[in-house]
Amino acid sequence: MEIYLPIAEMSVHWLIILAMGGAVGFLSGMFGVGGGFLLTPLLIFYGVPSEVAVATTASHITASSMAGALAHWKRRSVDFTMAGVMLSGGLVGTSFGVWLLRILREAGQSELVVSAGYVILLGVVGALMLRESLEAIRATRSGTSLPSRPAQHHNWIHGLPIKMRFRQSRLYISVIPPLALGLAVGILSAIMGVGGGFILVPAMIYLLRMPTSVVMGTSFVQILCVTAATTVLQAASNYNVDILLAGILILGGVVGTQFGVRIGAQMRGEQLRLLLAILVLAVGARLLIDLVVTPVDIFSVTVTGP
Amino acid sequence: MMRATLFALGLLLLPHAAGAEELVAGLSQDQIQITSSYTGSDLVVFGAIEQPPDIEEDTQPGQRDVVVVVRGPAAMMDVRRKDRIAGIWINNREVTLEGMPAYYYVASTRPLDKIAPPYMLARYQIGFDNVKPQSTSTHKAARAELFRQAVVRERARAHLFTETPSGVEFLGYSLFRVHVPVPAGAPRGQYTAEVYLFRDGVVMSAQSTPLFVDQTGLERNLFNFAHNEPIGYGLAAVIMAVLLGYLSSLIFRQQN
Repeated sequence: MEIYLPIAEMSVHWLIILAMGGAVGFLSGMFGVGGGFLLTPLLIFYGVPSEVAVATTASHITASSMAGALAHWKRRSVDFTMAGVMLSGGLVGTSFGVWLLRILREAGQSELVVSAGYVILLGVVGALMLRESLEAIRATRSGTSLPSRPAQHHNWIHGLPIKMRFRQSRLYISVIPPLALGLAVGILSAIMGVGGGFILVPAMIYLLRMPTSVVMGTSFVQILCVTAATTVLQAASNYNVDILLAGILILGGVVGTQFGVRIGAQMRGEQLRLLLAILVLAVGARLLIDLVVTPVDIFSVTVTGP
Repeated sequence: MMRATLFALGLLLLPHAAGAEELVAGLSQDQIQITSSYTGSDLVVFGAIEQPPDIEEDTQPGQRDVVVVVRGPAAMMDVRRKDRIAGIWINNREVTLEGMPAYYYVASTRPLDKIAPPYMLARYQIGFDNVKPQSTSTHKAARAELFRQAVVRERARAHLFTETPSGVEFLGYSLFRVHVPVPAGAPRGQYTAEVYLFRDGVVMSAQSTPLFVDQTGLERNLFNFAHNEPIGYGLAAVIMAVLLGYLSSLIFRQQN
C-alpha cells in the first residue's frame, strides 16, 4: 500500500521503508553499531530530502539506543556524572547544529553540506576500519598477537584545569574534554543524523581512559538523550522530522537488529569489521559520485510559500 | 485574485456574434480530498457546445477546438542553478519566482500551436510557454525565463504540470470530456478549471469553475501538527521512539 509521507512530501510503499529499517537494523545488530550513518545515506538515495533524512534518523537512533541504555542502567554500568557532563556539551552542540542546518537550508546548501560531510566521515572511518581489520586478519594468519597499546598513566588531558571527580569511572579529570566531546557529537547528531557512538566509544577509552565496563552504557545514555533533544529541536525549528517515516523505520529496525545480533555472534570480529569497512566505503563512494556526476537537471525548485 | 481579474478581462474581449455557439461545462467534483492511501485520482471536466436548435452537425465556419486548463494555487518558489565548482555541483545562482501556479494542466483537441497564434495563447496563459510568474527577483528577462522553464521541467517531472494535446475526448458532436489527473503531491488550495472554445484561433466562448483540493486523513493531520505545534510534535516523536525502543527490549528479552 502506498502511503504519503507528510513531511518528506513523497509517496512511498510502506514495505520498502520497513525493509530499509530492517536492513539497517540487521547491519547495526550484526556489527554492533548505531546505524545512523548507514540509514541517512540510504534515505537520501531513495529520494528523501537530505534534511528530512537527517532529522528522522535522529529519532530512529533514539529508539535503537533505548534498549541498550536500559540494559546497562539495570547493570549499573553507566557513569551518570560523565553522561551529564557530556550531555551539557551535547545540548549546546545540537542547538548549534540545528541552527546551522536552518541557515544552510535557507542558503540552499544543506543538501551539499550533508552529502559532503558524509563523504568525509565515511571515507575516514571506512579507511581506518579497513586498515585496522586487515592488520588484524594478517596478524591472526601469521599467528602473532597484535601489540596492545602501551599504557600511559598521564596524557595531556591531565594538564587541563576545572577538574572533577567521576566516581563510577574512578577518574579525576578536567571537564573540558568530555564537554568538547559532547559538543562535537551534538553537532554531528544535528547535521548528519548520527548518534556518534563510533567517535564517543574510542574517545572515552583512549582519550578519557574510562574503564571499558562503563563505556558502552554511558555512551548509550548520552546518545539517547542527545538524539531525543535533536529530534525536538529539529521539529521545532526546521519542521523536518517525519513521524510516519520514523515509526515504520523503527518497527523494521527493532526486528532487524535481533536477527543481526544472532548472525553477528557466529562471525569472527575482524572479518565483520572488514565487511563493515567495505560497506562504509561503498556508501561514501556512491555519495561522492552523486556530487561529481552532472545532475539530471542543474536547476532545483523549492516551494517556499503561497 | 490576479488570475481571476485577467480571466474576466479576457472574457470581455470575446466576440459576441448573434446565434454563436455557447459553451456549457461542469466538473465531476468541486472538492478533491487527498488521503493517506491516495495515489492520485481523476477530476473529470465535461461539457457541451450548444448551438441554435435543430442543428445536429458543425455548420459554423472554421475549425473548432476545445482547450481545458486547470490551474492550482499560486506559490512562491526558490529556483537554484547548480554550477560545477572545483569538480562538485554546488547551488550557485538563485531566483525567486512569485505567483507561479503550483499545479497546471492543459488538454486540447489538437497541439496548441495549431489551435491559435502565440499571442492568443499568451493572453489566456495557455500552454507551458505561457505559465508566467507575477514577479521575479531578477530584472533580467532572459534569466527569469531560464529559471521559469526550470520550474516547468521540475513540475512536469513530478506530474504537477501536464500538457495533453489530445486530452479532450469528444462523445458525439457536441459532448466532450477530459480526465484531469491529480497526483498525490498536488498542493492544497483553490484551483480553477477553465474551458475555452476556439474557432479558427479565436476564443468564442469560455467558462471558469473553481474547485478545492484538500488533504485529509492521517498525513494531513500530522502535517498540521508538525507546523502548528512543532514542539509538541517533536516530543511526540521522541515519546514514540522511546516507547517502541522500550517495548522491543521487553519483547525480545523474553525470547532470549
